Amino acid sequence: MRKSTARLIFGITVLVFAVAFLFPLVLVVGKGFLTPDGTLTLEYLIGVFRNPIYVEGLFNSLRLALGTTFLATLLSLPLAWLSNRYDFAGKKWVNALVLVPMILPPFVGAIGFQQILGQYGALNSLLGTDIDWLGQGRWFGVILLQSLALYPIMYLNVAASLANIDHAMDEAAENMGATGWAKFRRISLPLMTPGMFAGGTIVFIWSFTELGTPLIMNYTRCASVQVYDALKEIGGNPFPFALVFVMLAVSVILYAVSKFLFGGKAYAMQGKAATTFTTERMSGWRGFLTLLPFLVVIGMALLPHLGVILTSFTAPGGWYQSVLPQSVTTGNYAEALGHEMTVSSIRNSLTFSTLAVLFNLVFGIAIAFVVVRSTIRGRAILDGLAMLPLAVPGLVMASGYLAFSSMLSNTAWVKSSDTLHSLFDVKTNPTLFLVMAYGIRRLPYMVRSAVAGLQQTSAGLEEAAANLGAKPMVSLKRVTLPLITANLIAGALLAFSFSMLEVSDSLMLAQRQDFYPITKTIYELFQLIGTGKYLASALGVWAMMFLAVTIVGSSLLLGKKMGALFRV
Amino acid sequence: MAVSVEIKDLVKTFGETRAVDHITLTIEPGELFFLLGPSGCGKTTLLRCIAGFHQPESGSIHMGGDEVTRLPPHLRDTGMVFQSYALWPHMTVAQNVAFGLEMRKVGKAETAKRVKDALAMVKMSDRANHKPNQLSGGQQQRVALARALVIHPKCLLLDEPLSNLDAKLRLEMRTEIRRICKEAGLTAIYVTHDQKEALSVADRLAVLNGGVIEQCGTPQEVYLKPRSVFAAGFIGETNFLDGTVKKISGERMIISTPVAEWESIHGLDTFKEGDEVTLSLRPETLHLGDASPGQPNVVGGIVHDTVYLGEVAQHQVRIGGDGGRNLKVFDLNPRILARDGEQAASVWVDAQDVVILPRGNA
Repeated sequence: MRKSTARLIFGITVLVFAVAFLFPLVLVVGKGFLTPDGTLTLEYLIGVFRNPIYVEGLFNSLRLALGTTFLATLLSLPLAWLSNRYDFAGKKWVNALVLVPMILPPFVGAIGFQQILGQYGALNSLLGTDIDWLGQGRWFGVILLQSLALYPIMYLNVAASLANIDHAMDEAAENMGATGWAKFRRISLPLMTPGMFAGGTIVFIWSFTELGTPLIMNYTRCASVQVYDALKEIGGNPFPFALVFVMLAVSVILYAVSKFLFGGKAYAMQGKAATTFTTERMSGWRGFLTLLPFLVVIGMALLPHLGVILTSFTAPGGWYQSVLPQSVTTGNYAEALGHEMTVSSIRNSLTFSTLAVLFNLVFGIAIAFVVVRSTIRGRAILDGLAMLPLAVPGLVMASGYLAFSSMLSNTAWVKSSDTLHSLFDVKTNPTLFLVMAYGIRRLPYMVRSAVAGLQQTSAGLEEAAANLGAKPMVSLKRVTLPLITANLIAGALLAFSFSMLEVSDSLMLAQRQDFYPITKTIYELFQLIGTGKYLASALGVWAMMFLAVTIVGSSLLLGKKMGALFRV
Repeated sequence: MAVSVEIKDLVKTFGETRAVDHITLTIEPGELFFLLGPSGCGKTTLLRCIAGFHQPESGSIHMGGDEVTRLPPHLRDTGMVFQSYALWPHMTVAQNVAFGLEMRKVGKAETAKRVKDALAMVKMSDRANHKPNQLSGGQQQRVALARALVIHPKCLLLDEPLSNLDAKLRLEMRTEIRRICKEAGLTAIYVTHDQKEALSVADRLAVLNGGVIEQCGTPQEVYLKPRSVFAAGFIGETNFLDGTVKKISGERMIISTPVAEWESIHGLDTFKEGDEVTLSLRPETLHLGDASPGQPNVVGGIVHDTVYLGEVAQHQVRIGGDGGRNLKVFDLNPRILARDGEQAASVWVDAQDVVILPRGNA
C-alpha cells in the first residue's frame, strides 16, 4: 500500500476519531472539572466522593461489575476447557447454543427473569415456597442476570486462547510428570490467562456501566442509573458528569492495565500446533457427564428468554403466582407491533444500525488495510485508536454526545438554520449522534474482523494482481475483498446486531418518540401501566428472532474465528 | 518482446539494514539471469525493486531503455512467479491465468486462446476449471508460471519458484523453466539460494552477499575463477588455505602457507610479492597417489576418513602433520578404497587449479 494513501486514511481516521470520539469525552471531563465561568475545579469530583449517595452508587456498580465478571468466568471457564479437550455427542449444538444469550439485551431478559424467579414467580409456585430468589436489594439478581447474558464473551475469548495453545505444551507437561490438576494449574491456566483478561475486561466495563438491567430490575442505587436520572433533569448539574468521569477513569485504567499486561499477541506460540491434536472422545454416560455442564449453563442462560417468550404470550395479569401463564393470547404482538411507537422504532433502528454498519465497513476496511498492509509509523497508533471505544462505556459516550449536542445547538449559526438544527440537536433529531454512537462503539469489532481477514490473506496475492497490471482499486475489488468477504459480513452482522441491541446511547440520546429505536421503545412500553411488561416482551421476542438470524448467520460464516472479534 | 534490464547504483534500505547496496547490473535481452545468494543477501529485495514492490532510495532501473524506477508495479509489464505462487484461491486456474489479459483489456476470443496456449505450454490444459487448492504444489507452480507468461511480459521474474517442491520435481521443473524461457525468447530474472539450480540453468548469474554483488558472470566463470572467498565458498565445495605471495617468477607464482608451498598460474596481474591471500582448492581438483615426475604441488598427507558415495569417494586428508590442515579430496569413479584406519598418501594438484583470492573469511 502506498505511503501517501496510508497517511491519508490515517489522517481522516484520526480526524473522525477526534470529532466523534475524543471531543465528546473531553466535554464530559470538561463539564466535570470546569465551573460555568470556565475555571478549573476539583470541587465536583470531591463532591461526588463526599456525597454518600454517589459513593454508594459507585460501590454498588463496582460490586455488580466484580460479581458479574467473577460469575461469568466461573460459568465459561469449565465449558471452554471441556470443549477444547473432549468430543462428545451434541458438542456442535451446545457450542452454537452457548452464544444464544447474546441475542437479547439483558434488560429485556430481566422482565422474563422476574416472571420466573421473582417472589410471585413460576419457581416459587412450582416449589410451593415464598423465597425471593433474586435477593434482597436485588444486586444479586442483577449480577446473575448480567453474567448469564455476558458469559459468552468470556467463553469466546477463553476458547480462542485455548485453541491457539499447541498441544505439545500439554504433552511436554505430561512428559515432565505433571498431570490432572497440576497440569491445568501450571500450564493450561497461565496459557489461557490472556484470553480471560481480554474477555474479563469487556465484561467488567460492560457490567460496571450497564444501564438497562438495573433500571428494569429497579436497582436504582448504582452509578449508571444515578447518571441517567440526573442527566434527565434540566439545568446543567455538573455532578453527574464528575460521576461519569470516575466511571470513565475506572474503565480506561482497567483497559490499559489489561492491555499492558496481556497486550499484543499474548503468548505467541512458536508456530501453529504442529502435532495434529485429536480431542479425547467421550461416549456413553461419560459423554453425557461432559455435556451436562453445558446444558445447565445454557438452560439457566435461556431462562430469561423463556420467561420473555412466555410473558409475550400472556394476557395481561395472567401470570401471577402460577407455574405457567394462566391465559394465553397473541394479542400482545398485535398491540405491541401495531403501536405507532413500535412501527417507527423498527424503522429507526434499522436506519441507524444500517448507517452505522456502513460507517463501520468503510472505516473498518480502511483502518485494517493501513494496519496490516502499510509500513507507516502511525499504524500501531491507528490500531490502538480503533480499539479504544471498547474501553469507554456507552453511558459515558452518551453523556459526551449530549454535551456535544447542547454545545452545538447553542451556537448562533446552528440556531439560525433549521437543517443544521435538526442535524445537531438530539432533542429535534438524534440520527446523527445515534449513528455516530453506534458506529464508533462497534468499530472495534469491524476492525478486528477485517484485520483478521487481511492477516490470513497473503500480501502476495495482491502483489500478484498488481504485477499483472491491476490498479490498486481493481486489486482491492477483484482479489482482496472477495477473499475477506466472510470476515466482513460476519463483522458487519455483529456490528449490526449490537447496534440493534444498544441500550445506553439509545435510552439517553433518543428523546423524541418518533426517533426512538427499538430498545428505547421496549423500555417505554415496559413503563405502561398494566400491559407494560407484556407488550415489552412481545417486542423483545420480535427483536430476538430478528437477531437470532443475524447472529447465527455470522457465526456460521466466521466459525471458530468469532472469538477474535471480542479481543481487547 | 525481450528487453534489457539495466540497474544503476541501486540502494534500498530497511531501517538500519542496507538490503541493496549500490548495485549496478545489466541483463541482456533474452538472457536467463540468476540472482544467487544466501538468505538475507538482498536478492529478493532486488527482484522486488525490479517488480516495483519496493521503492529504492536511490539509483535507477531501466527496461528496454525506458526508466521504470518510480513506476507503480501494475504499469511495469513484468510477469512474476511468487515463491508462494500467490494463486488467487477464489478463482479457477483459467480465471487466474486470464486475469492479466483482462487488465490489459484483451478481447474475449483472444484471451481464451492465449489462456489455452499458456496452459498447454505448462501442460495444465486439463485443469483449467480446477481451483488452486485442488492442485498439487508442482501443478500450482505451473499455473503460476502460465499466469506470468500469458501476458507476454517484458521480463519474467521468478522468486525462488521451486523452493516449495520436492527434490525430483525441482530437477524436472528447472529444465522446464529454461525450455519455456528460451522458446519464448524471454528476458528472465531468477532468484534462488540453490547453487545447483543456478549453475545448471543460468546463462549468467550474480552472486550476492550483504547487498552487494560479489561476482557476476557465466556459471563456468564464477565456478572456475571466483573472485572472492565468498563466491568460491558459496558455489560448490572448496578448501581454503590462508597464505602469502612468496615469489612471482615469469608465468608462475609461489604462495607459502603454514602447511606447504603452492605453485599457481593465476593472479599474476592482480597480486604482488608479500600480499596476503587465500587459496581455494576444489576437492575434485585434488588427487591422491603418485604424481608424474616434475609435478608441482605434491604434499604428503594422511587419509583419515573416507565417505563412499558410489560415483565419488570423499576423503579427509590431513597435511602438514599434527596441528596441520584437513583437505577435502574427491576421488571420482573410485576403484581402490582406502582401508579402515589411517593411511599415508600424497596429495597433488595442478598449478592451473590453484585459485588465488584476496584474503577473506569463508
